[in-house]
Amino acid sequence: MLRLVQYTLLLVTLVLLLFPIYYMLATSVMTLDEFLRVPPRLVPGNLNFDNYPFMVRRWNYLPGLFNTIMIAGLSALGATLLGGMAAYSFSRATFAGKALMYSLLVASIAVPAMVTLGPIFITYFEIGLLDTRHGIILVYLAGGLPLAVLVLFTYYNSIPRELDDAAAIDGCGWFGTLFRVILPIALPGAFVTFLLLLIAGWNEFLFAFVLTVRPEIRVLTLRLLEVPSGTNIMQVPYDLYAVGGVLVLLPLVPLLFRVQRQLVTGITFGAVKE
Amino acid sequence: MTTTTVAQGSAEHGRPRILTSRYAIIYLFVLPAFVLRMLYSFIPLVQTVWLSLTNRSLVNPGAFVGLQNYQFALTRDKTLINSLGYTIAYTAASTLLETVLGLGIAVLMMQRLRGRGFSNFVMLLPWVMAPLLAGVVWRVIYWEQSGLLNFMLLEAGLIDELVRWLSDPAMARVSVVVLTVWKNVSWVALIFMAALGSLSKEVLEAAAVDGANALQRFWFVTLPLLRPSIYLVLMLRGMAEVQTFEQILGLTQGGPGNATRTLALYSYQRFFVELRYGYGSAINVLLLLLTVAIGGVFAWLLYRSGTRVAR
Repeated sequence: MLRLVQYTLLLVTLVLLLFPIYYMLATSVMTLDEFLRVPPRLVPGNLNFDNYPFMVRRWNYLPGLFNTIMIAGLSALGATLLGGMAAYSFSRATFAGKALMYSLLVASIAVPAMVTLGPIFITYFEIGLLDTRHGIILVYLAGGLPLAVLVLFTYYNSIPRELDDAAAIDGCGWFGTLFRVILPIALPGAFVTFLLLLIAGWNEFLFAFVLTVRPEIRVLTLRLLEVPSGTNIMQVPYDLYAVGGVLVLLPLVPLLFRVQRQLVTGITFGAVKE
Repeated sequence: MTTTTVAQGSAEHGRPRILTSRYAIIYLFVLPAFVLRMLYSFIPLVQTVWLSLTNRSLVNPGAFVGLQNYQFALTRDKTLINSLGYTIAYTAASTLLETVLGLGIAVLMMQRLRGRGFSNFVMLLPWVMAPLLAGVVWRVIYWEQSGLLNFMLLEAGLIDELVRWLSDPAMARVSVVVLTVWKNVSWVALIFMAALGSLSKEVLEAAAVDGANALQRFWFVTLPLLRPSIYLVLMLRGMAEVQTFEQILGLTQGGPGNATRTLALYSYQRFFVELRYGYGSAINVLLLLLTVAIGGVFAWLLYRSGTRVAR
C-alpha cells in the first residue's frame, strides 16, 4: 500500500516535471495548423519532421551551433585550465596573500551578473571588445573561474600529501608533481568541471544578449528570439519555436547524462562535506 | 609541512628567494585566474556603485549627484517600488516552494524505488534547459485562448472559464513562480538526496527503537540533521532567484504592464534600453544589497549550524 502511494507520487512528479519538455517535442513534429486545432492535441496525429530541415536552413542552425560550441567550449576549457592552475597553488603552496586571494575568488560568486554587466558593457564599448567572440569568451571564462577553483581545490586536497613527498624524493619539482601525481588523479574531476561550465556557457543568455550584435557571432540561446515566421506570417510560429527549443536542448542531453552523478559536488562547490 | 619541504627543495640553489623560479611560479599559477576574475566581478561592481552616484547616460558624460538616484528611486519611482516588492515576494515564494518540494522529492527518491536512476536523470532535464527556453516553452502551455493548460483544466471541470495565466497581473505573478519552481526544484532535490544519503543511520535506527514513527523520525531527527543543507539551499537558491531575468523575459517580458518586472528586468530597461547608466546602476546596487543580504543571512546560519566549510 505504501509502495503504491510512493510510486504514484513518483509518477506524478515525473509527469509534472517532464510534461513541458514532452509537449515541446510533440509540438515540434506538428504542423502549425495541427497545433492550433481546437481542442488542442496531446499526441501529434502524424509525425511531421519537415520543420527540422526548414529550421536548420532558415534559422541558420549550424552557424549558431558552431558559435555556441566555440564560445562555450573555449571559455569552459580556459576556466578549467586557469582555475585548475590556481587551485594547485592554493592547495599545495604557501604564499603571501593566499587567504585573501582565495576568499575574494570565492566571494565573487555572490556578485550578481546584472551588477557587473553595465560597466563591462561600457568598458567593452570603449576598448573595442563589444560584439566580438573573444569578448564574450572572456566573460564566460571569468564567470566560470570560482566554480573551477573550488571544485578542483577540493579535489586536489583529497589527494594525500604523502604522494607529493614521495614524488619530491624521486626528484619531482613543481611541474613534475603536477603532471605525475596530481593531474592523473584529478583529470576526471577536471573533465566534469569542464562539462559543467560548458553547460553553463551553452545556456547563458544575458551577457551574450547585451555584448553581441552581429548575427554571425550570436549563439543559439539568442536565436530563440529570432525564430523566422513560418508559412502563415500572421500567426506566431509555435511549431518552429518548439523545433528551435529541441535543437538548443538536445546536444546537452548526453552531457547531462555524463555529469549527473558529479553534479552535487559541482553545485555545492564541495562546501558541505559529509 | 609538505609545502615547505617541497619549497625548500628548489630554493637550495642559493638564489634570493623571490627570484627562485618556484616562488614566481606559484604566483604565475594563481594570478591569471585571480586577476581575470577580479576584472569581471569586483572591479565592475565598484564601477557600478560609482556610476550610481552620477547621472551619466549615453548622451551625458555624467556629474556626481550623490544619493539623488536612490532618493528618486525609493520615493518617487512607483515602478521601482512595485518591482522591489515583487522581487522580494517572488524570491521568497519560489525559494520556499523549491526547498519544500525539493525536500519532498528527495525523500521520495530515497525510498529505494525501481527506476530511480532513470528518474534521477530525466528529472534534471528542466534544470539543464536554458532559462529563456523554459520561459518560451511555458508561454506555449499558458497560452490563453486555446492553450493546453486551460483546455485540460476545462475538460477536468476544474475551471469554468479560461484562466488569464499571463494577461492578468496577479495571475501572471503566480505563473512566473510556477515556472521558476518547475525549473529548479529537481536541482534542490538532488542536493537533499546527497544530504539524506550521508545521514548517520544509527541515529535514525535508535529513534526507531525508541518507538518513533516515520513522521516523528523525519520531523525530530532527519530535519534537524538536514539543517545545514537547508540553509545552503536557501542561500544558493535565494541569491539566484533574486536575480531572475531570463525565464521572465521568455515568459512575460515583465508584463502585463510591469506586473512581473523584477529588479533585474527593470534595471535592464533603464540601463540598456534607455541607456541611463547612472539610474540603472542605482537599481543594480539595490539588487546587489538584496543579494548580499540573502547570502549573508543564510551563510551566517549555515556557519552557526556547525557545518565544516571547505577552507
